Amino acid sequence: MLISIISLLLNGIGLGLVYAAVAIGFSLVLGISGVINFSHGVMYAFGAYFFWILNGRIGFWPSLIVTPILVAILGFIIEKLLVRRVYGSDPLFGLLITLGFAMALEEIIRIVFGPAAYSVSAPKFASGIVAIGDFLYPQYRLFIAVLAALILGVVWMIIDRTNFGAIVKAGMFNSEMVGALGNNLPRLRTIVFVLGAGLAGLSGILAAPVWGIKSQMGTLVLMPSFVIVLLGGLGSIPGTIVGGLIVGVSTSLAVLFMPRFVDIIPYVLMGIVIYFKPRGLFGEQNIAE
Amino acid sequence: MKKQIRDPFLWIFLILLFYPLYPYIGRFTSLGTELLIWFIFTLSFNLCLGYTGLPSFGHGAFYGVGTYAAALTFLHVIRKSGAVWLPLLIGALAGALFAGLLGYGIRKKKGVYFALITIAFTQVLYFVSWRWDEVTGGEAGLKGIVRNNFLGIDIQDPVKYYYFVFALFMLSALVIRRIAHSSFGKSLQAIKQNPIRAEYMGYNIGLYKFAVYAISGLFAGLAGALYCFLTQSAFASVLDWTKSGDVVIATLLGGGSVSFYGPLVGSVIYVMAQELLSGFWSHWVLLYGLSFVIIILVFPNGLLGIFKRK
Repeated sequence: MLISIISLLLNGIGLGLVYAAVAIGFSLVLGISGVINFSHGVMYAFGAYFFWILNGRIGFWPSLIVTPILVAILGFIIEKLLVRRVYGSDPLFGLLITLGFAMALEEIIRIVFGPAAYSVSAPKFASGIVAIGDFLYPQYRLFIAVLAALILGVVWMIIDRTNFGAIVKAGMFNSEMVGALGNNLPRLRTIVFVLGAGLAGLSGILAAPVWGIKSQMGTLVLMPSFVIVLLGGLGSIPGTIVGGLIVGVSTSLAVLFMPRFVDIIPYVLMGIVIYFKPRGLFGEQNIAE
Repeated sequence: MKKQIRDPFLWIFLILLFYPLYPYIGRFTSLGTELLIWFIFTLSFNLCLGYTGLPSFGHGAFYGVGTYAAALTFLHVIRKSGAVWLPLLIGALAGALFAGLLGYGIRKKKGVYFALITIAFTQVLYFVSWRWDEVTGGEAGLKGIVRNNFLGIDIQDPVKYYYFVFALFMLSALVIRRIAHSSFGKSLQAIKQNPIRAEYMGYNIGLYKFAVYAISGLFAGLAGALYCFLTQSAFASVLDWTKSGDVVIATLLGGGSVSFYGPLVGSVIYVMAQELLSGFWSHWVLLYGLSFVIIILVFPNGLLGIFKRK
């Protein structure tokens, strides 16, 4: 019993960290540009699909580097063509535009790759089992948890310790002021969007060997991102990480204790949190209010 | 007399009245019925979205609740006698109840938070309907629903059901129009234009939001219940949040944000596109998504917005 709890706990942490990596991009874009980017999920999906194409050809590590760059480029195109036009208008428009585009993109995935699910196997160096006494755990799941934690750590360092990060944080608090103080706000927003897309793509790669690749995976990962953002607080990196962990661990452990409500648990927790703290656990005043 | 002739309602009434007689598409009565159901749904939803400016992205929840409430009422209360008025009533009231609850709960939230929470709400209901097998039939849904009669009138036949829904639609549309053009409706528009000013003028914004939510929930539930009897089943898919997204698209595409009749145009496009395009190309969603994006970028106020200058 204890062993399965630990196993599920680790699963949950891994899941949560991957979710957090996706949610961070979404949260940053929402915080600094006021846009609910529905196409964010599709970036995650593209990460997985591009990786599936490249992995067989150029190997794991090269694909891991190249794929997020490809997804980031895609994000750049989306930002320049579409999202840019809705800055400053009703947040509803950003939502609708990205929703429509996400629908179209997902359909493109279906056209190119077909509706069936694909699978990717874990890279050779991490496809074994870790054994601590009687406790067994897949190596790959540890790998993605560690890698996701590293990535989140790097993002947090950038946001918290660098000048650029300070400007981003200021932009989430009051983007107009940041622009008025002489920073190039449109370029800032583009950079944040592109970074977010790349992060989502990277998460898609990490997730692929564990949860498979299917055409609607983008839409499926978007929901937890919403919950994490609301739960953890908009535009807060620690909030997103904590939110991600809460969602991941609760989902994972729920399988053991109340399997019927697995999907609903994150929403219930979110509801409880925003009842007591409407801005989320770590939320601060931001552009979306 | 002239004013009556220019009333769009007369034309809508006439066009829809003769729908089953039209060449080619007239034969697809259930398509027409589905269109009417969407009309009811989007018209009332527009009271929230276009008139009050509430970014409710989870309105499909109330439609779905109406569907399930009607189905469950039928299966457990009415059974074979097939009398339809009670499930319809319960469906509508269930929609109003859930909408009222949510509307009251989030009346102080704004913009992004409001939208995200509405999506979360419909997702929770979706999962509940998916997992609570004993009650909702889970993934397989509920089946075996029969529409026998409404207060004695037989509505089994698809054409007869079409006219039944048509009558309900005309009634609902008249009621919704009355609400939209009343001082209540004007207050809603004031809230959309400038919520702070409306509040300072003494309007109880929370109450208005709650009220408009409950009203649109009532009609959404009714539409869902009618859909249940159209398909004679109930599935969890009606509660999926993508359905809510479809509703918003249908409402705004036609110009719901500036015109009362916008949702009707948008619904026609949406339902027809889905039925007709899907016959030609299985990946029609691509065109639909792209055209929607382009239309909203070029005409942010939707199609009817081209004619109305704000």
